[in-house]
Amino acid sequence: MNWTRISAIVQKFWYSTQRDIFRIFDIFVWPAIELFIWGIFSVFISKNALDGVNLVTILLGGVVLWTFFTRASKDISLAMIDELWSRNFINLFSTPLRISEYVMGTVIVGCIKLLMSMMFMFFLAYVLYGFQISSMGFYIIPSAIGLTLFGWTLSIFVQSCFLRYGHTVEVFIWAIAALVQPFSCIFYPLTALPGWAQVIARLLPTTYIFENMRLVMMGKGVNKEEMLVACGLNVLYLILSLMFLSRSFELARRKGNLVKNY
Amino acid sequence: MDDILVVDRLTKKFGNFTAVDGISFRVGKGEIVGLLGPNGAGKTTTIFMLLDLITPTSGDIEVFSLRYDTHHEEILQNLNYSSTDVEMVPRLTVWENLCIMAKLYQMPNAEEKVKQTITRFGVTEFITKKHEQLSQGQKTRVYLCKAFLNDPKLLLLDEPTASLDPDVAALIRKEILKANNDGMTILVTSHNMAEVEEICDRVLFINHGKIIAEDTPEELAKKVRQVRVNFMMKDGQKRTMHFANKSGFPAHADGRFVTISVDEGDIAFLLAGLAELGVEYREISIDKPTLEDYFIKMTYRGGV
Repeated sequence: MNWTRISAIVQKFWYSTQRDIFRIFDIFVWPAIELFIWGIFSVFISKNALDGVNLVTILLGGVVLWTFFTRASKDISLAMIDELWSRNFINLFSTPLRISEYVMGTVIVGCIKLLMSMMFMFFLAYVLYGFQISSMGFYIIPSAIGLTLFGWTLSIFVQSCFLRYGHTVEVFIWAIAALVQPFSCIFYPLTALPGWAQVIARLLPTTYIFENMRLVMMGKGVNKEEMLVACGLNVLYLILSLMFLSRSFELARRKGNLVKNY
Repeated sequence: MDDILVVDRLTKKFGNFTAVDGISFRVGKGEIVGLLGPNGAGKTTTIFMLLDLITPTSGDIEVFSLRYDTHHEEILQNLNYSSTDVEMVPRLTVWENLCIMAKLYQMPNAEEKVKQTITRFGVTEFITKKHEQLSQGQKTRVYLCKAFLNDPKLLLLDEPTASLDPDVAALIRKEILKANNDGMTILVTSHNMAEVEEICDRVLFINHGKIIAEDTPEELAKKVRQVRVNFMMKDGQKRTMHFANKSGFPAHADGRFVTISVDEGDIAFLLAGLAELGVEYREISIDKPTLEDYFIKMTYRGGV
């Protein structure tokens, strides 16, 4: 063992950590998020009865629905970043292809992948844990659509940031779902969150979708007003993200980011 | 001659750095124009602006008398590009990549068009290989296939024969000239000066973002006034070297061979001086300046 060489490796990581602020996520943000989610969940189940609903069903329902979101939140950004990494963006966009056509193509692929992946997941959840999709009834359809749309919205947002700021924001491809997760009330109700977090949670369509998932599982029916709010927020955020993408694409062309080596 | 491409005072700044500094030029229908210059001169930035992948800071580009802000699709439908500096999807085969590109250009009967093109560029033998498995030379041929897929009216080629074996490079040059004979207009960058001299009708020499010369390859080469006079010595090698040094002519001896660089106008003075000294030589030849000499002069020695 040569300590000079070992110290060179340590130094290399030190330099790269200093120049990439997002490496800080590994050190501080992820542990904080984990603690936040499971801390609130533990407090919630220790203080509240679950009205006779099986805890496993609620947890699995949350995990299954959340998968719609996490998959969708990576679909577009991963597809685009792959093109940028392989410098295929130049080939694609030196043809008459428009950015809107590219996004539509990736959305269609995302839909197919999502459907296949969800069918597999429902099957596994049933075989391994006896989880029945019917426990959510028809609610599965609007909730899956809502979560997928919001996932795509954030994916488009992340990709726009990538076009603007380069690979330093790449971590958000993986991080965005985890950042939204604590405020989406997947495993606990909105009221379990501290006041400041509730304000953030109310701005997310995901919160209303998971709140209503629990209502459906408890046999209480859907709160239509909340679902309308979720739908409105989804449409608003999707439009904003598409506008942001369009502007970011133009900015990337001005800055030369489309032709950069990543 | 109809102009296929008109570039007017095109400028691109990245922050404080000016990559392209107010260049203007025209490319006529059916011309092959070479864009030459050292690395970092602004050639690639210019090409990316011509493809609308980089937005100019100022200046205008007209392709087929159309502008990108109003006719983006129409322009790109009739234009194509090849460079060794870009990649295709690594996990897809050559066939798959080319079929996708043909569809992006909305080629009717895309697969048939791909078949024609791969035969033309000798790509058939590795059509089932994944892009990531190709050698650099094979990739270059695939990029050329891609560049000809839509029968472009204007073709932008960035180092089209880089990394190719000489026989394949010759085949590619032949295809470029053939396409040009069929009416295709071509703007090409290359570091291979012999190639530029062979295929280009006209050359734009760019350095530090500015066009510093524009002419035919022959005329540009003529601007380098120095020629190399090569002697195979019989007697008087030392006297020859002494005379060259005294006269301020760079000279180089290698065995019985001596090469002296002189201005064209000084050839007579050199030969007369050597005759006076009684120098005898078995053979003499004069190398005329080439485009490469011009390139080296302009790039590394700060001008002709």
